[in-house]
Amino acid sequence: MTVAKEKANKTEVQSLTRKQQVTILKRLFHYAKFFKVQFFTAIVFAILLSIINVLLPRMLQYYMDHFLVHQSTGVRVVLIFATVYFIGTIIKAIVQFVQNFAFSMGAERTLEKIRSSLFHKLHTLGMEYFDKTPEGSIVSRVTNDTKTLYDFWNLFLTILVAAFAMVSAFIAMFSVSKVLALATAAFIFALYFVVWLYQHLSSKIYQKLREYLSQINTKLNESLMGISIIQQFGQQRRMTKEFEEKNRAYFGMRNKMINVNSFLLYPTISLMFTLAELVSLSGFGIQSMNTVVAAGVIYAFISYQQNFFNPLSDVMNYMSYFQDGLVAGYRIMKLFDDQTLAPRQHPGAQAKVTAGKIEFQHVTFSYVPGQPILKDISFVVQPGETVALVGHTGSGKSSIINVLLRFYEFGEGKILIDDQDIRDFSMKELRQKLGLVVQEPYLFYGDITKNIRMYDDSISDERVEQAAKFVDADNFIQQLSGKYHAKVVERGSSFSTGQRQLISFARTIVKDPKVLILDEATANIDPQTEQTITRGLTKMRSDRTTIAIAHRLSTIQDADQILVLNKGKIVERGNHDELIRNKGMYYELYQLQSMDQ
Amino acid sequence: MGIFTRLSWFFKRRWRQYLSGVFALLLVAICNIVPPKIVGNVVDAVDQKSVSGVFLLSNMAVLLFVAIAGYLLRFAWQKMIYGSSFVLERELRSRLFVHFMKMDTTFYKKWRTGDLMAHATNDIDAVREVAGQGVLTLADSLITGLSMIVAMGMFVSWKLTLIAVIPLLLLAVMANVLGNKIHDAFLRSQGEFSNINNKTQESVVGIKVLKALGQEAEDEADFDAYVDDNIAANKRSYRLDAMFNPLTTLIMGLSYVVTIIFGGLAVIRQSMTIGQLVSFITYLAELTWPMFAIGSLFNILERGAASYDRIMELLDEKSSLVQTPNALKKIPDGNIDFNIAGFHYPDDESKALIGVHFKLLEGQTLGIVGPTGGGKSTIISLLMRDFDHYSGQIIVGKNDVRKYDLHAYLDKIGYVPQTNFLFSTNIRDNIRFANIDASQSQVEEASEIADLAADIENMPDKYDTEVGELGVSLSGGQKQRVAIARAILSDPKLLILDDSLSAVDAKTERNIEQRIAQKRQNGTTIIAASRLSSVEHADQIIVVDNGTIIEHGTHQQLLSQNGWYADTFNLQAKSAEIEGRLNDRG
Repeated sequence: MTVAKEKANKTEVQSLTRKQQVTILKRLFHYAKFFKVQFFTAIVFAILLSIINVLLPRMLQYYMDHFLVHQSTGVRVVLIFATVYFIGTIIKAIVQFVQNFAFSMGAERTLEKIRSSLFHKLHTLGMEYFDKTPEGSIVSRVTNDTKTLYDFWNLFLTILVAAFAMVSAFIAMFSVSKVLALATAAFIFALYFVVWLYQHLSSKIYQKLREYLSQINTKLNESLMGISIIQQFGQQRRMTKEFEEKNRAYFGMRNKMINVNSFLLYPTISLMFTLAELVSLSGFGIQSMNTVVAAGVIYAFISYQQNFFNPLSDVMNYMSYFQDGLVAGYRIMKLFDDQTLAPRQHPGAQAKVTAGKIEFQHVTFSYVPGQPILKDISFVVQPGETVALVGHTGSGKSSIINVLLRFYEFGEGKILIDDQDIRDFSMKELRQKLGLVVQEPYLFYGDITKNIRMYDDSISDERVEQAAKFVDADNFIQQLSGKYHAKVVERGSSFSTGQRQLISFARTIVKDPKVLILDEATANIDPQTEQTITRGLTKMRSDRTTIAIAHRLSTIQDADQILVLNKGKIVERGNHDELIRNKGMYYELYQLQSMDQ
Repeated sequence: MGIFTRLSWFFKRRWRQYLSGVFALLLVAICNIVPPKIVGNVVDAVDQKSVSGVFLLSNMAVLLFVAIAGYLLRFAWQKMIYGSSFVLERELRSRLFVHFMKMDTTFYKKWRTGDLMAHATNDIDAVREVAGQGVLTLADSLITGLSMIVAMGMFVSWKLTLIAVIPLLLLAVMANVLGNKIHDAFLRSQGEFSNINNKTQESVVGIKVLKALGQEAEDEADFDAYVDDNIAANKRSYRLDAMFNPLTTLIMGLSYVVTIIFGGLAVIRQSMTIGQLVSFITYLAELTWPMFAIGSLFNILERGAASYDRIMELLDEKSSLVQTPNALKKIPDGNIDFNIAGFHYPDDESKALIGVHFKLLEGQTLGIVGPTGGGKSTIISLLMRDFDHYSGQIIVGKNDVRKYDLHAYLDKIGYVPQTNFLFSTNIRDNIRFANIDASQSQVEEASEIADLAADIENMPDKYDTEVGELGVSLSGGQKQRVAIARAILSDPKLLILDDSLSAVDAKTERNIEQRIAQKRQNGTTIIAASRLSSVEHADQIIVVDNGTIIEHGTHQQLLSQNGWYADTFNLQAKSAEIEGRLNDRG
């Protein structure tokens, strides 16, 4: 978690109104509904448990008041009673287990459901969302925030169990002595005040605490990632000093938190209990001066009182999870509500890409309203032709690809494929027939075959191999131990950039797309590999409509058409020779680049 | 329990706090004995109808005193014990950080950042739990347990106590059997959680590929499979976990049964009063908590021990970057004589460098080129003293580099790495990283040389623009230029550019190189690059392959040798030639 994000969270929580909190809770409960069997079971068994907790002391009371006072009671009766009591205990144990396990699973399944829905939601979002949101925070939403909810649900069970236990304990107390039961209940008001005070004092400290902790971790993470720079420039002492400051601040806040906790939480409950005990004992004592009070009654009342106060310390211990859960819930809901959706196709779209003709008609596009990135872009690419997009960074080259691939929704104008509106094709059809080769090849954990085939099981091993051979990736794959099943570690970092590029070529070509979209790599590859890659690209392009973003003009001289973009407009078009003759912007760019070489 | 021995150094240092904490706990336990006794007194008095005002008042006064004393004592031990545990947390974290700061390349090759982070967060938490919750639970359950047992024996009956306590021995068996199973189950759950984490990370980072291939649905199915695995693993954990309390309930139930039988018979036979039995059962109820606590204690201790060992393993790693006592503090300058007969990485027996020798005069520029993996970076690594164990020597000025004080030595080298890392602060502080007190004009000058000034002027807050993970994201080329500016500002005697302008176009690269040369008239420069045009103007160029120098000379000399350099140069220049011809035509 980063500091800035943590800061944002802080304001998020502070500004969460009661109403928002209720909304978050409602929406979280919506997911719990799917597992009502588990929750219902847990709640029923929780009620049973609190009843058993009342009954067992009652039994003991009965035993003492009715049997033990008579010397005539035989061993048989004692044994029978002991057996009955033990059966009661067994039932209690079973009920405890069922309640606990059912609730755990309910909470677990609920959070996994939320987790899965979140992941599904992610895939409905457009590229824009991923371009503007740090990946760490997205991952954190799906994994850590959902995990936090587990404790959150447990808090609810604890509260629920506590409520049942307290209500049943109260009823039991009430049945023994009305006055003393009411007197005991009066302590709840005192406790309410304590909780209010605790919330008031702790929430600020708690937020600071989280903030400091995340600062510590950010600092640590950053220092580890930049260790070589720190050591090289001899900044260890400064970094340590900065780290120690944060470490000290956190420690100070921790101590404040301990003060508040020890002052108001667990010790208070014990204090309340003993005071309540004092009141009831005095009550019974005074009562006994006038009337007869059975000994078992006092025992029973005191143990009900214990049952009344005990669950409260659990609730107090879980208090901090409430805020964590709300914050996590808020972030999760924010992601669910995100409207940065991926562009939609027309309903029932099922046109097919046959020839691979691409046409842009007066297309406009902007990332931010009012700041157009593409202005009135029109061009036609005939089937099998290659069109190259040329221009400075920010000229709009990548945006053309972004709208053509439907990563982003365009504004006005029309994009046609084989003379049909691009929205008339299903997304699946578009993905199948428009093959993208990205600048920075990305490999997934698994093996080579998985990375070429991806999840499409209809692609046979032979076709995987053919594709690899076609783009000249086969050579190096054959040299790997395990060949096509050679392991690919996280992000494919054991392969060179060139090798990753070749594998990603094979991945694109195995689908046999009609249209090829190339975002030419600027990465620094050694010349030999670069040759292989260029060869692979040339082969891929043959017989396919190709739209290529070129950074080096030397690679696109054979393009049928070159579009020169500047500030979102096509300023020149034609083939290489024509543009050179023109002596316009292309010529200038070209001059500049040849000078470098 | 071994973990307590391992942490004894800390307990010894904080013995006052721990001792007073435990003492407070002891007093709390004594306070806890009083209420059941008073309950028993009152019950008996009520039973015998002998309650008097004085009796009631004195008993209640004791109870009130105990309530207040208990409250204060609880406050005290929490402060003492939990407070100490956070001292331990702070200290361990600090030790790890200082340790990280001085560890060498070998260490950072062995450990990944995520792993080191886990040590400094989760593992420290687990150890802190031992020093806080662990100590408390142990002391409290022992004290409460023993004091209750003593009270039961003293106030009621030793015989009955002994009988009632016997079933509790089963708890040890349960904690052992169930504890191990839970441990394994939790390990599996944690593993599954990591898998989900990795899966999500991978999908988010590779989202463009997934979208381009139209594999959203398949990816979702794959994710859901991970979710199912996770549920299965957690189900097992929760099932085992849910068994803990019921089993404890059962075992405690046995104690109750024993009490009902033997205590009941004793009351019937009038060898015990009913009030005594009530006291006894109340004490027994007080025993429940310590019994539940013992289960969690084993958990805390086991986790803490494992974590402590993991932390110690890190702290025990030795850095090769140790200072020799009489190291030369003087600034190294003068000619470089690099003469390495052989070097291999500590974790790899095969030679990374064999017979590499070159001399570089002060103020000269050396170019290092060659295929990837040929040994370029290793040469730089040795110059940077990442490794000090090799046969041969590197002499700077008159001395072997290993004789210099490492800090003083590195201080005079400006290194610009291949991959760049910016700290999450403003761009100014990133540039003046090596000298945080540098003035704005110094920062601007360095930016100017690195061809960065114009870019910064275009940023929202100019030099105050926040960069790094939180701020504005810079392009690869911009990051590289920040790194150059950072190195320039440190005013190094020796500037090393390790393929550090790969994301900048050739023309800008040339401009930067020229400006660097102008600014650093007497400075020595080493440039490693894959683009040959980067080293064309160097005073001498070495071509490194398979760990050795295969060609050596100036640009012109190397071209005429018709070796790797000439081949590669032609390859890279081929397109330029075509363009040249076309230009003539146009």
